[in-house]
Amino acid sequence: MSTPATLDVDAGSAAPTPQAWRRIQLQEAALPVVVVLLLVAGTITDREAFLTRDNLLTVLTQVSVTGVVAVGMTFVIATGGIDLSVGSMLAAASIAGGLAGEQQSLPFMFGAIGFGLLLGLVNGVAISYGRIVPFIATLAMFAGARGLALWMSDKTPISLLELDIVRDIGRGKTLGIPNAALVFVAVTVGGWVLLNRTRYGRHVVAVGGNREAARMAGIRLSWVVTSVYVLSGLCVGIAAVLLSGRLGSASPVSGNLLELDAIAAVVIGGTSLAGGRATITGTFLGVITFGLVFNLLNLLDMPSELQQLTKGVIILAAAALQRRDL
Amino acid sequence: MSDPAATSPLLEVRGLVKHYPGVRALDGVDFTVAAGQVHCLVGQNGAGKSTLIKCIAGLVTPTAGQILVEGAPLPLGDPATALARGVATIYQELDLVDDLTVADNLFLGHELRRGPLLDRRVARRRTTQVLERLGHPEIPPRRLVGSLPPAAKQLVSIARALTRDARLLIMDEPSAVLGRHEVETLFTVIRRLAAEGVGVVYISHRLEEVGGIGDTITVLRDGRTVASDLPASTPRADLVAAMVGRQFADVFPERDATRTLGPVVLRVEGLSRPPAVHGVSFEVREGEILGIGGLVGAGRTELLRLVAGMDHPTGGTVTVGDRLLPPGRPDIATRAGVGLAPEERKAQGLWPGWDLVRNVSVADLRRFRHRGLLDRRTERREAQRHLRDLQTSPDDPDRLVGELSGGNQQKVVLARWLLRQCRVLLLDEPTRGVDVGAKAEIYRVVQTLAAAGLAVVVVSSELAELVGLCDRILVMADGRATATLDAASATEADLLQHALPLTEEAAAP
Repeated sequence: MSTPATLDVDAGSAAPTPQAWRRIQLQEAALPVVVVLLLVAGTITDREAFLTRDNLLTVLTQVSVTGVVAVGMTFVIATGGIDLSVGSMLAAASIAGGLAGEQQSLPFMFGAIGFGLLLGLVNGVAISYGRIVPFIATLAMFAGARGLALWMSDKTPISLLELDIVRDIGRGKTLGIPNAALVFVAVTVGGWVLLNRTRYGRHVVAVGGNREAARMAGIRLSWVVTSVYVLSGLCVGIAAVLLSGRLGSASPVSGNLLELDAIAAVVIGGTSLAGGRATITGTFLGVITFGLVFNLLNLLDMPSELQQLTKGVIILAAAALQRRDL
Repeated sequence: MSDPAATSPLLEVRGLVKHYPGVRALDGVDFTVAAGQVHCLVGQNGAGKSTLIKCIAGLVTPTAGQILVEGAPLPLGDPATALARGVATIYQELDLVDDLTVADNLFLGHELRRGPLLDRRVARRRTTQVLERLGHPEIPPRRLVGSLPPAAKQLVSIARALTRDARLLIMDEPSAVLGRHEVETLFTVIRRLAAEGVGVVYISHRLEEVGGIGDTITVLRDGRTVASDLPASTPRADLVAAMVGRQFADVFPERDATRTLGPVVLRVEGLSRPPAVHGVSFEVREGEILGIGGLVGAGRTELLRLVAGMDHPTGGTVTVGDRLLPPGRPDIATRAGVGLAPEERKAQGLWPGWDLVRNVSVADLRRFRHRGLLDRRTERREAQRHLRDLQTSPDDPDRLVGELSGGNQQKVVLARWLLRQCRVLLLDEPTRGVDVGAKAEIYRVVQTLAAAGLAVVVVSSELAELVGLCDRILVMADGRATATLDAASATEADLLQHALPLTEEAAAP
């Protein structure tokens, strides 16, 4: 083919229309608006209970486990990947921690976080070096890690009532603020800095945005891809500590459907499933949105199936808003 | 074989013009095909052949002009009507589905049905009939197309056109994937169809072939018909002369003939990756611009990708300075100072949704690290400095790259490698999709960079560009280096002679 054949490639792909940019901005502004609307709706619904410091801190605490996992998930999705295994890994990490330190907090935490990192590394290596697509690799881990958790625990939860520090992280407060909420906020801030202010974060988004260009720019694709799954494993480990501390036990059946909640929060936050566009702020707001909806419907005594339905509607609406007609 | 008795020709193209932003792909093409005629279309890369056939097929809407089929105007930019009027195009990349059978492919999109179900029995019978008409009943209708050799696939494509009652068959480089004997098979089929009254437009780079199959030859250059209805016996040299044509040396900046080149920076030895590249070797010195010429498909892009470590070679070495690069490691090649500006800028070289700063700094973020975090102020300042040096417009660093013109996007890629302080710059079709004014800009930039000591390799399909811009020109054909020419004395005709692959004797009747 001669040159004109390729010419229309450039001619056809003009810059995005003003409408398209407006849509993107609209989408960026949409979630904060939704959060504000939810707060207003909550206040109207229940003036006494909803807009109180305690209730809002409760929301933050309730979403802390999902939130921490969602931060890691944001990095994975930023590269154009997906991690379906976070729920199973959370159970496996909790059990591993429980086996490492049934009596002492530090071994438990090292065990849980270390095992999370290890499973994340397995995901990463399978995807980047084994060239298995992320969906399949983490689907395998989704099944495998759950099995591992059940097998290691002999299908019974491990009581962690002796672990003061872990329980304090899960249930305690510092200066009146629940520690779990603090951990969530800290992980979010850390994730934000890592994504937006470091070379590593730039490389993550670069890989998701244009693999070929990233390789040409000298970015080590396999390394970056592996690392985001390890990072997801790390977040899972931290979430395992939060959840085990809150429950006072490590359960092999915990974390069920966690992957869906985390992915949903990331996606409604505005991170592109195709990769290349990621926002930790959006993820945080996405997590909060689901938390507020849950909280609000609870206050209204709505049945849980209605909560699920609402969640579905929110995901669909967010996805429709994100559609880019370029 | 042609039929001068017909009152109105099968196909008549009148004054066809197609403008893309900044580029005149077609600039007044006249072209006529009679029923039963095999009309060959030749021209350099970029002469407008593909645009012309896309206009005829209705895939591209011309800016002006008329296309008549049997005397009646064809609605422009309407592929369905073109097909319904009997105009069928067989593209270089065959649009067959490998996982379907021959019969299924033939009737894809106009399936034969009995009630709600596919009537595969009738489809197979009609497939056999069509293949018999082509003289190749040996192709089994039930075979999966993916398991057929290239020549048979070619025949299936032709058969498919015939099931749609094609009266005019347009074939774009049909012989490119065929061996010598297969070409002969193809020619037999084409002659057979022509004898039945089908008109054929045959596009090829292989001039010997054109003489062998065509009744008449039309030469396109710069989107215009420069010679039409030449007899098939026209000598190759005359065709080449018609294809080359004009000079436009004035676009190129004057070169300082007295400047001295530095030591060899890039040394490529025996680099291979079949089928695209076979044992290519060359050297580039500091301050030198090496052009790589050849036709599209000669393996030039593939060669650059091998040098940059983007693909794994099967053999050969790349040395930058005194450092031997490990194969398939673009990160190490980058660190050694190799920068590649790909032809598909948007798809492979840029992040269109990112601002200019990020696009420029992405290859060398290490420099902006300050206590683990990016120093974004320095990043922005440095990126902006390089963009200004290249006179990128707009140089507003917050603009998104996707909003820039092709020429300025190219400058963004160049700025990236300047920021990275690379020593070897590999440019693949640096002026493709760039308007004429911006082309001169890019030439100036490339020469400035070379003067500053960079070793530059430029792949280009524009022969004039190679002659005007480069110091030496390596010519490739079919994945091999066929010649190295001194640009000062080389002519476009010399270049084309070495760039045209030879089909040897067999294709001629």
